[in-house]
Amino acid sequence: MKSESKLGLVLVAPALGVIALIALFPLGWTLWESLHQHDLRMPWLGQSFIGLGNFAEIMGDPRFWGSLGHTAFFTVVSISLELVLGLFLALAMNRAFRGRGAVRAAILVPWAIPTVVAALLWRFMFESEAGIANAVLLDLGILEKAIVWFIHTGTSWVPVILADVWKTTPFVALLLLAGLQNIDKSLYEAASMDGAGAWWQLTHITIPLLKHAILVTLIFRTLDAFRVFDLIYVLTGGGPGTSTEPVALYAFNALLQNLRFGYGSAVSVVIFAITFGLAVLYIKGLGVSLQGDER
Amino acid sequence: MTRALCGKRSPCSWLVLGMSLILLTACQANAKEDGTVLTFSGSALGAEGTLLALQLERFMRENPDLHVRVLRTPEGATQRHQLYVQWLNARVGDPDVLQLDVVWTPEFAAAGWILPLDRFKPAVGDFFPATIEANSWAGKLYGLPWFVDVGLLYRRTDLVPREPRNLDDMVALARAAQSRRGGPRYGIVWQGARYEGLVTTFIEYLGAFGGRIIDDQGKVMLDSPEAVRALTFMRKTLYDDRIAPLDVLTWHEEEGRFAFQNGNAAFMRNWPYPYAAMNDTAQSRVAGKFTIGPMPAAPGGKSTAALGGNQLAINAYTEHADAAYRLIAYLTAPEQMLERAAEVGQYPSRRALFDDGRLSAALATPVEQARRAIESATPRPVTPIYTELSEILQIELHRALVRQAEPEAALRSAAMRINALVERTGMRELMSKKAP
Repeated sequence: MKSESKLGLVLVAPALGVIALIALFPLGWTLWESLHQHDLRMPWLGQSFIGLGNFAEIMGDPRFWGSLGHTAFFTVVSISLELVLGLFLALAMNRAFRGRGAVRAAILVPWAIPTVVAALLWRFMFESEAGIANAVLLDLGILEKAIVWFIHTGTSWVPVILADVWKTTPFVALLLLAGLQNIDKSLYEAASMDGAGAWWQLTHITIPLLKHAILVTLIFRTLDAFRVFDLIYVLTGGGPGTSTEPVALYAFNALLQNLRFGYGSAVSVVIFAITFGLAVLYIKGLGVSLQGDER
Repeated sequence: MTRALCGKRSPCSWLVLGMSLILLTACQANAKEDGTVLTFSGSALGAEGTLLALQLERFMRENPDLHVRVLRTPEGATQRHQLYVQWLNARVGDPDVLQLDVVWTPEFAAAGWILPLDRFKPAVGDFFPATIEANSWAGKLYGLPWFVDVGLLYRRTDLVPREPRNLDDMVALARAAQSRRGGPRYGIVWQGARYEGLVTTFIEYLGAFGGRIIDDQGKVMLDSPEAVRALTFMRKTLYDDRIAPLDVLTWHEEEGRFAFQNGNAAFMRNWPYPYAAMNDTAQSRVAGKFTIGPMPAAPGGKSTAALGGNQLAINAYTEHADAAYRLIAYLTAPEQMLERAAEVGQYPSRRALFDDGRLSAALATPVEQARRAIESATPRPVTPIYTELSEILQIELHRALVRQAEPEAALRSAAMRINALVERTGMRELMSKKAP
């Protein structure tokens, strides 16, 4: 028995080694960098150990706090919309109808388009005064005159959120659909027998039994949305001013535009800590709900 | 086990073989030349690439002991800059000769990445003074201006009969043009998106009102009344005079060019590059109906153009400094500059060439107007921290122009943040070490 566990260790060693090399080593390195002053463009400053100096600078930068707020706003708004729309789509796709396979495949098209391409498409629609968005809204009489979307904070968020919802709702819908298909049909039959309506069935059978799928979706989407970069980089560049800048763009700016390796690493560490914390929270929540079900 | 993984006929062994072949040929390529091999990095695409190849070919014929190899680098300024910084941090000796954007020279000089050129005794008096100023750091010259870019005011001659006398006059002329029957939608278009172009536009208004970003002692001057007046004026053209469309706040050079070229604007602030194409009737509706001139001034200031352009500098880690300077001297010689003007329309950085009849024959743009603009050109702040300074300025200017902040508050915030940047980067000590 003992030799078997030893063999097991030997067998997983290469995998653990690879994980250490590609996950733990860069993480450790970034942590180390984050404690240093390391400005690639300013070699005259040297590369000294400054402890938590970079973190203190982050905490004192209103632009960082702003970017954190924008990220949270984007995450909450886009995920809420995606969950509602995704659930709706999943319920529709769960019904038996002709061409269901084709619809399920077609719905994935936005998800399959690279984010940068999708973002460019949305930018073209909203960019100029003569863009499609303005034309449609003017025709419908919703707008009185064409607006320049990307110079107001509020209107800049519209294409950003729309593009994200358009692109990721299919993903959410498919995850929820998988959950729906695990629900025992006999529950609905029994409920119908007892005279329960469709709304009662949705709120008392479907959604409670879909909790796991929803939690899994939330984990994936929150972590994804929190690291949003390419979509906003292409659509607004974080503007006007920095009023749509997410933390990932802030980090990119420090690290790759300004080549401040120390400071940028510190920002990356902060982002990592936040996403890690979120993941732990969710997994805890998931674990609790699993136990609750077993009882 | 290893045999099974990497057997004699497996794809893996082919991979190893292929990689060794690549390595082998790479080594051979380096060892091929007997004489000195110089590496050069610069714009090598399209017409510029053809011209460069031609000039390098000639250089090698005249200098048989030297061989020049072009190292391809990205054409985008930010990407090229990033690559240079990575190479130079690693103390790589290639490329020996670097093409630098005008705002990079002080940064590279302060970092010790490029060599001072004074020991080669270049005739600095032959170049436009502003271009030499932009290439100097701590009292030494670090780059030779290769070609000049300069902000110009394009004017529709059929809509605006005369050059504006000052900025207010420009607003009046633009409004008059807009209100004509069949007049253009826009009075003026410029670069207003949140990027470097916005800073160049701002510098011209700032100079027009007599303001500066940083003074000679390195003091930040952005919260001065002149700066507030300049930014307020820019904002007024958007919201009160309505000569500039709000769209410019998302526009770069090309969007403005399209508007002007399609006949939708009376004035345009832009660089010289679109001049030739806009005079081509096949693609432009304004061919023959426009001219260029310097940006006008406001009372108390002077007509100011932003200075752009590219320089040649020598990598501090090179092993062939003398040969590298021979290449720079050749590429910046009058003959090559004239050829460059003719082939790709870039302005020479040598003053005397503007009196040379060959230049007016070569250039598409009117030479006298170009000279006036270049003589009114001011460099952007000549400081190693320019890129970060500019980022702060871009954000605050944009905030003021989209009305997220009042001009005064935005400029005060910019000044405060730039001062913090100066502190953090030890600029004061660095500046005090600067030769008197």
